[in-house]
Amino acid sequence: MIRPRAPGLILSAIVLAALLLPPLLPWRYDVIDWGGVRAPPLSPGHLLGADGVGRDLLARTLVGARVTLAVAAAAALVSLVIGVAWGATAGWIGGRVDEAMMRVVDALYALPFMFVVILLMVVFGRSILLVFLGIGAVEWLTMARVVRGQVMALREQPFVIAAEAAGAPPRRIVTMHVLPNIAGVALAYLLLTVPQVVMIESFLSFLGLGVQEPLTSLGILVKEGADDMDISPHALLLPGGLLVAILICLTVLGERLRDRLAA
Amino acid sequence: MTIYAVEGLCVSAGGQPLVSDIGFTIGRGECVALVGASGSGKSLTCLAPFGLLPLPVAGSARLRGRELIGMSPPSLRHARGHDAGFIFQQPLTALTPHLKVGRQLAEAWRQAGKGRPRRTDLVALLDRVGLDHVDERLDQYPHRLSGGQRQRVAIAAAIAHDPALLVADEPTSALDATLRAAMLDLLGRLREGGLALLLVSHDLPSVARQADRIVVLEAGRVIESGAASTVLRTPRNAYTRALIEAAPHLSEPPPLLPPVGPPLLTAEGVCVSFPRPGRRRGRVQAVADATLAVHAGEGLAIVGGSGSGKSTLARAIARLGPIDAGQVAWAGRTLPARGRMGRGDRHLMQPVFQDPLASLDPMWRVRDIVAEPLRHLRPGLSPIARAEAVAAALGDVEMDSALADRYPATLSGGQAQRVAIARAIVTQPKLLLLDEATSGLDVLVASRIVSLIARLQHERGLAILFVTHDLALARRLCARIAVMAAGRIVETGAMESVIARPAHPVTRALVVASQ
Repeated sequence: MIRPRAPGLILSAIVLAALLLPPLLPWRYDVIDWGGVRAPPLSPGHLLGADGVGRDLLARTLVGARVTLAVAAAAALVSLVIGVAWGATAGWIGGRVDEAMMRVVDALYALPFMFVVILLMVVFGRSILLVFLGIGAVEWLTMARVVRGQVMALREQPFVIAAEAAGAPPRRIVTMHVLPNIAGVALAYLLLTVPQVVMIESFLSFLGLGVQEPLTSLGILVKEGADDMDISPHALLLPGGLLVAILICLTVLGERLRDRLAA
Repeated sequence: MTIYAVEGLCVSAGGQPLVSDIGFTIGRGECVALVGASGSGKSLTCLAPFGLLPLPVAGSARLRGRELIGMSPPSLRHARGHDAGFIFQQPLTALTPHLKVGRQLAEAWRQAGKGRPRRTDLVALLDRVGLDHVDERLDQYPHRLSGGQRQRVAIAAAIAHDPALLVADEPTSALDATLRAAMLDLLGRLREGGLALLLVSHDLPSVARQADRIVVLEAGRVIESGAASTVLRTPRNAYTRALIEAAPHLSEPPPLLPPVGPPLLTAEGVCVSFPRPGRRRGRVQAVADATLAVHAGEGLAIVGGSGSGKSTLARAIARLGPIDAGQVAWAGRTLPARGRMGRGDRHLMQPVFQDPLASLDPMWRVRDIVAEPLRHLRPGLSPIARAEAVAAALGDVEMDSALADRYPATLSGGQAQRVAIARAIVTQPKLLLLDEATSGLDVLVASRIVSLIARLQHERGLAILFVTHDLALARRLCARIAVMAAGRIVETGAMESVIARPAHPVTRALVVASQ
């Protein structure tokens, strides 16, 4: 059984390490140490060894985690903004507008989303910004559905009708009464979206469509590690383990928040 | 023969005693009523000995001679399943939504160890609780049944295994006045077979008709107990007296009829329909061709059973709900459609709803909730003047100003309803729309809220449109009445003459239920 505070603490430790540690290490993530090619763990200067071209693995893993988390956070925020705006509009207006807007969501659900992201990459060129936007633009669908349902349930609540009786204009009712009351649920689903985004980013990078060298991400490190796994398994296990830890922590936190709000 | 005996019962939470030293006994075929305001510990007293609450229990509770307190969970489960039945306040949540009535009852039957029931067994069971069209009902889902029918099914499930004791926790509070009387009659009839009944309620006069003995609780202690008729006629305790007097009677004098002039608010030919649930086509006519008028300073009650369309009509009139057809005019001027109601129109009438906690935004402080109408309807007001108006409104509803910084979740039902009333009167409207504004509260609190509204009505010359199922409460605020049934206004007139000579069968049933 996982202790109640463990996921939050582990995740905070990973985020802090990714943000603060790299400048303190003897080697930068993109500097090549010609004497340290394929250094094993616990070598002098390379605590966790170095990769096939002599770059420090600890620095690369931390920077990779930093990039992966940044992509995940940004993409989750994009999905939050689009999903909340779309879902709240559909749920509030209702009727035909709602029907039309939700059919759009259904249609997008039906598209193979990996294909859409890959297409975006090919058409607009590869940039890290586009990775953010592309993933966010695909991940907002579930958020929109959740928000729409919540808004529809709230709009018949007496306190919302009382606000209408108080003369509040619709826009204000939505922003001041409806959205604050669904913030908790939206946050829970946001936390559940982040691990999905991490997976997608890692997968795209694994395919060579995401972040470009020498910048790195956990997905790229896993790919490189997998190439050399018979020679230096730690190059696969370290970034892979970190990725799994991040995913589990986020999922546990998200589910716990969702369950608490449902109770 | 004693079926259930409680002695020196104490329930505590976190070291704090919630109820202490409670004792009573129920014999075969007897009914004991546990009565008290909300928070007095009456539900705790009846549920805790059966292990239905995760709280430490001390003392003694013997069911058919077997001590329940300290019993192991499996034997406790056995005792619950064989010797006791339970019914609760919310009839919908007591039934599993995806199981048909027949399956539901068969489940209860099997759990009592009586094997698979035959269909005739289930029909006989539903007949016992007085359900109509029993054969069809077995194949219906709970959502197809009305609140009263669901409560009957819940009772059937609770008595399927012929328990010795039936524990009924506020079984009638969620039902309207007509159903309440019928339900109490049903519980009374079940006793004829020797069933002992423990009835929990906040409504002393209505349970006094059924109970042999009454135990009155206040703040977790028994303050009075005795034969029902004695307690009702000669209560020794001031609190018991308050509980009895809080329930409105048809014998109280009604408010005087105000002078007749041109009506303030008129509604003509109002129709409202909703899409038929679960179907593409067809609509349900909720309100059909309703016409009414309210004069300045007058109270008009819209009375009817649940589902009669009274709330829908009131919301349509206040431009807070959908409307298909009909005219609503204020002092002769037609009011604009729902989305076009301007500042000047909204500020004429303000609503107060049934569930006080649901009608306050949980994320807002009391102070901001009361200030909101001022912000929109009187935007010229300075922040200081607004704060003064909010304080004055909270004073008017007798709210402690220290509560102004609280969030709704920390308020009691009565306090929350006062905040909702303060919000409704802060802009000085001419008409107050009370949509079952007292139905969610217990009798004592409801009585105080009605007194408060009566005072405001008197002081400010407020007109009141009071939607309620409770004729006796309506009579305290309103001199005129419109009775609704199945979406139509079936009878209108002066309150006194309608009560004295009800013309429509629905009105007659309401009058009988309120006496």
